[in-house]
Amino acid sequence: MSRVLTKEKLNVVNTPVEKVDGKALVRGKPVFTDDFDLPNALTVKILRSPHAHAIIKSIDTSAAMIEGVACILTYKDVPHVIYTRAGQGYPEPSPYDTFILDKKVRYVGDAVAIIAAENENIAERAMKLIKVDYEILPAVLDYEHAQDPEAPVIHNEPEISGAYDPKHNIASHYEMEIGNVEEELKKCDYTVDEVYYTPNQSHAMMETHAAISYFDPNGRLTVITSTQVPFHARRILNRLFGVNCRVIKPRIGGGFGGKQALHVEPYVVAVTLKTGRPAKCVYTREETMTASNTRHAMRFRVRAGAMKDGTLKAIELWGLSNTGAYGEHALTVFMVAGSKTLPLYNKVKAVKFGGDVVYSNTEPAGAFRGYGAPQGMFALDSALDELARKIGMDPITFKLKNSIREGETSPIFKIMGEGREGVEQIIRSCKIEECAIEGAKIFNWYEKIKKPRIDMKNKIAHGYGVAFAMQGSSIPAIDMGGATLKMNDDGTFNLLVGATDLGTGSDTILAQIAAEVLHTTVDKITVYSSDTDITPFDKGAYASSTTYVSGNAVKSAAEKMKKEILKAASELFEKPVELLDLEEDKVVCEDGRSISFSELQTKLFYTFNQRQLEVTESFVSEVAPPPYLVSFAEVEIDMETGKVKVVDFLNYIDCGVTINPVLARGQVEGASAQGIGMALFEDHIMDRNGRLITDDFFTYKIPARGDIGKIEVRFAKSYEPTGPFGAKSVSEIGLDTPGPAIANAIYDALGIRMRRLPIRSEELFFEIRKKYG
Amino acid sequence: MKVNIKINDRNYSIEIEPGEMLLETLRKLGYKGVKHACSTASCGACTVQIDGKPVLSCSTFTAAVDGHEVKTVEGFSNEGVLSEIQKAILEEGASQCGFCIPGLVVTAEALLKENPDPNQEEIIEYLKGNLCRCTGYESQTRAIMKAAKARRER
Amino acid sequence: MLNIKEYVNPDTVQSAYEIGQMPNSLYVSGGLMVSQIKSERLERLIDLKSLDLDYIREEEEYFKIGANTKLSSLISHPSFSSLGENFVKKSIKEIGSVQIRNMATVGGSIAFRLGWSDVITIFMTIGSQVEIYNGKFQKMDLEDFISQKIKGAIITEITVPKIESKCVFEKFAKSNFDIATLNLGLRVSLDGNFIKEARIVAGSRPMISQRIREVEEFVTGKEIDKISDEASKLIQKVIQTGTDLRASAEYRKALSGSLLSKALRRVTQ
Repeated sequence: MSRVLTKEKLNVVNTPVEKVDGKALVRGKPVFTDDFDLPNALTVKILRSPHAHAIIKSIDTSAAMIEGVACILTYKDVPHVIYTRAGQGYPEPSPYDTFILDKKVRYVGDAVAIIAAENENIAERAMKLIKVDYEILPAVLDYEHAQDPEAPVIHNEPEISGAYDPKHNIASHYEMEIGNVEEELKKCDYTVDEVYYTPNQSHAMMETHAAISYFDPNGRLTVITSTQVPFHARRILNRLFGVNCRVIKPRIGGGFGGKQALHVEPYVVAVTLKTGRPAKCVYTREETMTASNTRHAMRFRVRAGAMKDGTLKAIELWGLSNTGAYGEHALTVFMVAGSKTLPLYNKVKAVKFGGDVVYSNTEPAGAFRGYGAPQGMFALDSALDELARKIGMDPITFKLKNSIREGETSPIFKIMGEGREGVEQIIRSCKIEECAIEGAKIFNWYEKIKKPRIDMKNKIAHGYGVAFAMQGSSIPAIDMGGATLKMNDDGTFNLLVGATDLGTGSDTILAQIAAEVLHTTVDKITVYSSDTDITPFDKGAYASSTTYVSGNAVKSAAEKMKKEILKAASELFEKPVELLDLEEDKVVCEDGRSISFSELQTKLFYTFNQRQLEVTESFVSEVAPPPYLVSFAEVEIDMETGKVKVVDFLNYIDCGVTINPVLARGQVEGASAQGIGMALFEDHIMDRNGRLITDDFFTYKIPARGDIGKIEVRFAKSYEPTGPFGAKSVSEIGLDTPGPAIANAIYDALGIRMRRLPIRSEELFFEIRKKYG
Repeated sequence: MKVNIKINDRNYSIEIEPGEMLLETLRKLGYKGVKHACSTASCGACTVQIDGKPVLSCSTFTAAVDGHEVKTVEGFSNEGVLSEIQKAILEEGASQCGFCIPGLVVTAEALLKENPDPNQEEIIEYLKGNLCRCTGYESQTRAIMKAAKARRER
Repeated sequence: MLNIKEYVNPDTVQSAYEIGQMPNSLYVSGGLMVSQIKSERLERLIDLKSLDLDYIREEEEYFKIGANTKLSSLISHPSFSSLGENFVKKSIKEIGSVQIRNMATVGGSIAFRLGWSDVITIFMTIGSQVEIYNGKFQKMDLEDFISQKIKGAIITEITVPKIESKCVFEKFAKSNFDIATLNLGLRVSLDGNFIKEARIVAGSRPMISQRIREVEEFVTGKEIDKISDEASKLIQKVIQTGTDLRASAEYRKALSGSLLSKALRRVTQ
């Protein structure tokens, strides 16, 4: 069936427009939170718990009130309001289990006191003079033991709400089953039953967490913060402090989900409210590494069964997730491990998903790009690879045979949503066949797998692995974004969006969408984003929603603006609207007359039917059309050391139409690098007392230049009818494939199956030694 | 103590603390392009040139720079015209969040001065000390190759 | 920022040393490692940069390298960098990054006696002497300087013999921009296929660089392309290693064998 893949000829969308904030970034302009200096500002530092689990018996700050200290706040001095730090829509599907400062500390690094001083030096000196008397409690450092009968209860505060069973350290629980997995497995010719582990990866974004709060000249509490969720932040701060604040997001130096929660904001607001002065807090690298959020470490047992012809019959994914000391994003990340993985294999007769999300006395886990799907897909795809090999089938053929196609659906879409039920959807765009088949051709898969794997003389092995993935594009029926367009008398437009650009380029692609509809160019669109007083609401940058939701809002607004422009011109020309059209910054009439945007709005300002052309539109998604990805990995293993190098990594992705192919490519390349980091490099090590000793870039190694061979990205020819100009989403899915593709490739090379990430060269080395001598 | 430093061709005579690091000094003077991203000399975001050589300002004592010349990303930026490096970075989408970019520009300037025609491996090796978490490095390598060619052809 | 009281810039070794005898003082040569110090008690930094110790002098049988010479200068010096058949150039390039090599000095790298130092392994492999000043000038083997743990002295010069033999440096690290999990330097002089003399240095064990004399003795007199397996087994047996966040002692032992095999192969290429 042939399809017209792009409905219209595009002039701006699907072109490599340079980022609108690019010039400021390459010139090093002061556009990040810490680049703003406010006169009379206090520097805020946080005293943190050295213990994994303790009660503050007493805290004495008197000796710390040295010259230059403006205030020191303890749990006695801040509002005692229970909340969740999670940046999610209200009501949040995360337990309310956090206080700004509490009498109990629950992990090494938990906040104990807020110190505000004239400069960092004084704040640090004062910090050392605070006397805290702790009653140390036994701690749960291993999440697999959080539910042991003798495990201490981490959350016994009476105010807690939304947690599943805090007395047994269970923050959340979920389960669902379609059909009967047990029965189906019995009928299968081949089954697998294995357990897989993924780690508590750190975001390691280059800019640490930072926020400034101050009263503006009119007394309006204002917070400038490096956040992905300005509107959620505002709502939560208002509730915590009983205020009405404005939150502004400047440029952000990366987030990847690590800024999809409140971190620094309550501390600076508390100080500003207490002192009346501006307050700035910038986390050290160590704080961002140990006292913000990590990815949820998870363990999944996968059982799956297929017939000898390769038909997949049943899948069970049963997991345990570590949410750490606090439960932000606990339920939702866990659910995504199933809801954005299992629908890919929609032809099974039975599927079961569930498990517990437990508290432990470790750094709280939170949102991290992929949001559960990388964890779920590492387990699922590895297991399916193992199953394919048992059957003796090529893994590409096996996975492709069983994966979803256009026009199909999965009952999981309806059953599993964001912490609650989801929404039915029919897949309108799915080019997974092209991704798999064309990708295999470009990667030369079928030639490569004929080659010998192990070169015993030089002790080098080569292996090839493939992984399939899906994600989502926003959370349907929940995610909403608004866009305002205002026309100026010089023919330019202001585009106001709540949507949050964290370096992803959303300001740019949203301008492209508006420019396309309005027959103008991006340089004529000035974007203002993420200011809760000035821009319309947007839920923020997460769930791969910005292109799809905010993009659709912008498109609607632009279409409405187009109507307004044509209407105004029709009034001016005294011709019906049907005889008018937009063309390159002007309105043209069938009779040959035309008027530029600039002329038109100038008349509308001053001399003719005077009015401001300005429109606002919102968009809520009804569906969340998944992007699809097939990734191919070639690894080279030094058998003398166990070191694995990814020498070639191909992503063949269906993200619908790319609004900006250069930026889209960058998203996939970056996600692959982070996924390779999770698979091979990033290793958190905790000491016996629960302190993370890998707490900086010296000890926690993200992939550096030269660590990865080639990362290639190809886009499938796809068009999503519900997306703006056919677009879906692209930013998270790249994280779902590297883990399994690499593990599959290592198995292909050596016949050794690694089921725990990161795959340490040390562990692989000893496996190699065991097997090959 | 007082030190005399030339920063981006401008002479400064300033009071500093004896144990002050160059990164702090530069940011206090308004050179916000120099970024603080780690505390362990491990990421390169704070890279500046001292007497033409790229170094980490977070681990350089300002007192030691007395009498020397410093160049930051602001010193490689013209208000009107982008350099070949800056232009190529934008064209290749090599700047996502942009936090690593000032350090990258400064290091890349040093690279192209030393080696106007680097190959891919040489670019990767020279920029090794500049971590990036957003791009996966591919676009940045492409950008510097492009910039080198544009500069040679100028 | 370090909370010190003064930062001084003496212009003679003697005056630098005198000031250095005051309590809570530290010498700065480069300053890369000093800036990482978190000590509250440190009061005084003594910058050695004005002591005219930034030079590479070529003599008939030796290179004399001033202690304040940056690692990057070592690479760009045409004859020094090619010592050991380009050993210096290749090995120093494995250290850190361009920025780090523009900051770190030879003397500073040795003085800090860091277990993971590649510099110490590299210079021990070639065979170097250090000249120190601790009231008077003294010269000793680098190995002795390290093992004697001499403190408070100022390193002034490193003497490196113009060796004929070939050297190779192997470094295993977790990422391309990381300190060594284990490093190994090999120096051999060959008579045809036979090893006349060998020097094997292993560092970042995580302990500091050390010559592995048992293996040096074992390989002497043997044919280089025939002893790899046995030498590899022997070094794993005799090397002392430890466990830290990067690796276990057992893995480091295994790595020592692997790096030695690789080094032996590379030497003959």
